[in-house]
Amino acid sequence: MNRRRLLFAGAAGCLGAFACRGWGQESLNYAAPQRFAKPDIASDEGGLWAMMDREEKNLRRSPLVLRDAKLKAYVQDVACRLGGAHCPDIRVHLVRTPLFNASMAPNGMMQVWTGLLLRMENEAQLAAVLGHEIGHYLQRHSVDRLRDMKAKSAFGQFLGLFGVVGAVGQLAVLASAFAYGRDHEREADRIGAVLMHQAGYDIAESARVWSNLLDETKARDGKGPELFNPLFATHPAPPERRETLSQYAEAMPGGDPGRETYAENTERFLDDWLQDEVKRGQYAESLVLLSRLIAAGKAPALVQFHRGEVYRLRGEGGDLDLALTDYRSAASAANPPAPAFRGIGLIARQRGQKAEALESFSRYLELAPEAPDSAFIKTYMSELNS
Amino acid sequence: MKKLLFIVLALVLAGCASVKKVESGNHVVGERLSLNIQGMWNHLDFPGIKPAEVWTMEGVTVDEFLIYSGIRDGQAMHPETAASGQAKSFVFRSAMQSEEIVSMFEGVLTRDGSSFKLLKLEPYAFGGKKGYRFEYERNRKVDNVQLRGVGFGAVDRGELFAMLYHAPRLTFFPRHKDRVEAIAKSVVIQ
Amino acid sequence: MFARFRRLACAALVLSIGVVGPLWADSKNLAPGFSGLKKGALVTVMQPDVELFSISAGGVPEPKADWTDSAIKHVQEALNQKSAELGLKTRELSEDEADELAEINTLHAAVARSIALHHLTAGNLSLPTKDGKLDWSLGDAVQPLRQKSGADYALFIWMRDSYASAERKVAMVAFALLGVGIAGGVQTGYASLVDLRTGQVLWFNKLLRGTGDLREAEPARETVMALLKDFPEAE
Repeated sequence: MNRRRLLFAGAAGCLGAFACRGWGQESLNYAAPQRFAKPDIASDEGGLWAMMDREEKNLRRSPLVLRDAKLKAYVQDVACRLGGAHCPDIRVHLVRTPLFNASMAPNGMMQVWTGLLLRMENEAQLAAVLGHEIGHYLQRHSVDRLRDMKAKSAFGQFLGLFGVVGAVGQLAVLASAFAYGRDHEREADRIGAVLMHQAGYDIAESARVWSNLLDETKARDGKGPELFNPLFATHPAPPERRETLSQYAEAMPGGDPGRETYAENTERFLDDWLQDEVKRGQYAESLVLLSRLIAAGKAPALVQFHRGEVYRLRGEGGDLDLALTDYRSAASAANPPAPAFRGIGLIARQRGQKAEALESFSRYLELAPEAPDSAFIKTYMSELNS
Repeated sequence: MKKLLFIVLALVLAGCASVKKVESGNHVVGERLSLNIQGMWNHLDFPGIKPAEVWTMEGVTVDEFLIYSGIRDGQAMHPETAASGQAKSFVFRSAMQSEEIVSMFEGVLTRDGSSFKLLKLEPYAFGGKKGYRFEYERNRKVDNVQLRGVGFGAVDRGELFAMLYHAPRLTFFPRHKDRVEAIAKSVVIQ
Repeated sequence: MFARFRRLACAALVLSIGVVGPLWADSKNLAPGFSGLKKGALVTVMQPDVELFSISAGGVPEPKADWTDSAIKHVQEALNQKSAELGLKTRELSEDEADELAEINTLHAAVARSIALHHLTAGNLSLPTKDGKLDWSLGDAVQPLRQKSGADYALFIWMRDSYASAERKVAMVAFALLGVGIAGGVQTGYASLVDLRTGQVLWFNKLLRGTGDLREAEPARETVMALLKDFPEAE
């Protein structure tokens, strides 16, 4: 198979370059431990494990879980390729929440939020994040962290590592930042890179994940990125992390970004995920994200329409003009998203351009007669007509 | 939610929260919104839940009837709490179009990680002003309850007047929806 | 900040328990017009939701799986004993059934929290529309549960229990000497009986106290009996 060949080619290249770099042999010869047995229930790890089992049960029953067997199987497959022998212990759950997050609990519950899936440009980027989380899992970092957090009376924050919201402080947990320590992050980065390479992915994509996220969070005024994202710990500092990952990529070159497979598996959901992203109301961040996705060529018409929505909703300075430009190019695509015409109509109406508003609204209703706001748009049309 | 309950309990014990009876009849909320209700409601008076007035029939963890009266340009649409300090603030602007206000409510109702889906948006004369009515689904993140909701709103002299009611889609929303619709019909904005 | 507030809040609760009293045992627990179950009625017992924590010196709750496991076992045994005493037949739900009925369970939990807060809490949080009565109904929402289980009633049990570790106890004593009360272990929970024909919550009880122990069989039995004290008789 193509992937296998890439894998071997990559491995050969890796060893050569690796020797030149002069890293310690151990750093790239990671051997994963044996599969974990369920810990003794009287131990602290056992307590944690059992609690996570119960959380997993709740998660399984949550209406916020994205129940799509095909997409779930796809993400599970990526996790399995990375996890190797640990595959049977990794259970992927997709959660519909528009934030960049993935986590893996010590019992094997892996949560992947849709905000993460929206942000990934290819399968290798997804593998970079999952590989990193599997790295934490394989080294059982959470158990160290549990002991550390216990000492600091920060158990609630600890649970945030796994995106567990209901169990403890709910919103506080959702909004705050949680991180493993600096050494744990470094180790997880390194293991993630090795796992990626072994599975035939291009490690260079992992550096891109972090720099993309950095760009997005920088767009928010005043505060550093570490405050906003659980996965975006300052330890190690983003530039250092990016640098190290690039070095791994040089040492272990080759591999596949897996762009087409990723697009094939996720494109059905893009519209939903983009809508969720726009609703966050974090316009500056969304603009950076959506512009990047457009530049990367990811469903350009659809993303352009949603960027138009962001501009229209922000409505500052020249935003309406920018929105109009996006709506227009989305509307001129081969298979235009219907609401792009609604957007043009709304702006034209606000500007008193009757004819254009009417034409765009009727095009919208033609394409989407069952739209939830159709009655509302019809009223706008009859007002314009009178 | 369980922990939240603990906090609420503590507030009660500290005597800083209460529930007041809203009698059948005419009421004025804020300065300019008046409405008529048939049968009683419960008005939750907890510190820090402004700018909306919060009513309920079944209890704070079940159903919520939010009444916004006279929200001014630049005013935030939700209470500022320490826990939500990092989430985006949604601010009303007088110049907002109806559809932008509905988008703002979507933002307000998903601020806690809940999901929101707009089911319907239609014109509606709210309080005698040109306004809108919308219906939605919301999955509450904190306790996984699946809600249905209905909202009404209008802007008058630069101020926002709105009502939102949501309750579990099973039993509770259907049970109280008609009363809410009747209250919305009775609204007068002076 | 939030965590500190929560701890203070819990401390306030614990301090208040002596005043409020550990259990509510009057007609507040019964729905108006309801006096007892039908003899030989079938009650479906929803999987008891029980979790035990230990509280470290710093006040951090930590889940204890072994305690939780034995607590669930003890609670189930005590429930069986109680149902035998009452002459009721019980049926437990399987994991798959519980998955399918998740929305009803979630809905009941939301209602139960409102009952605990608005009906069984001292202070001025009671809902005037309920007029001091246990008057909550899940209506038609419970029909799938009735069809699946064939039962007349459903019993829901939720419990959280925490125990101070040895170091924590030392800290409690030290603070007590300074005149400051800090939280040790708190036992909190509820039990709720729902009529599957109407959805009406027929009986509800809340437990909130600083004593009791679910880790050992005998004290666990005592806890369940305390929670189910005044559970309506079959008639």
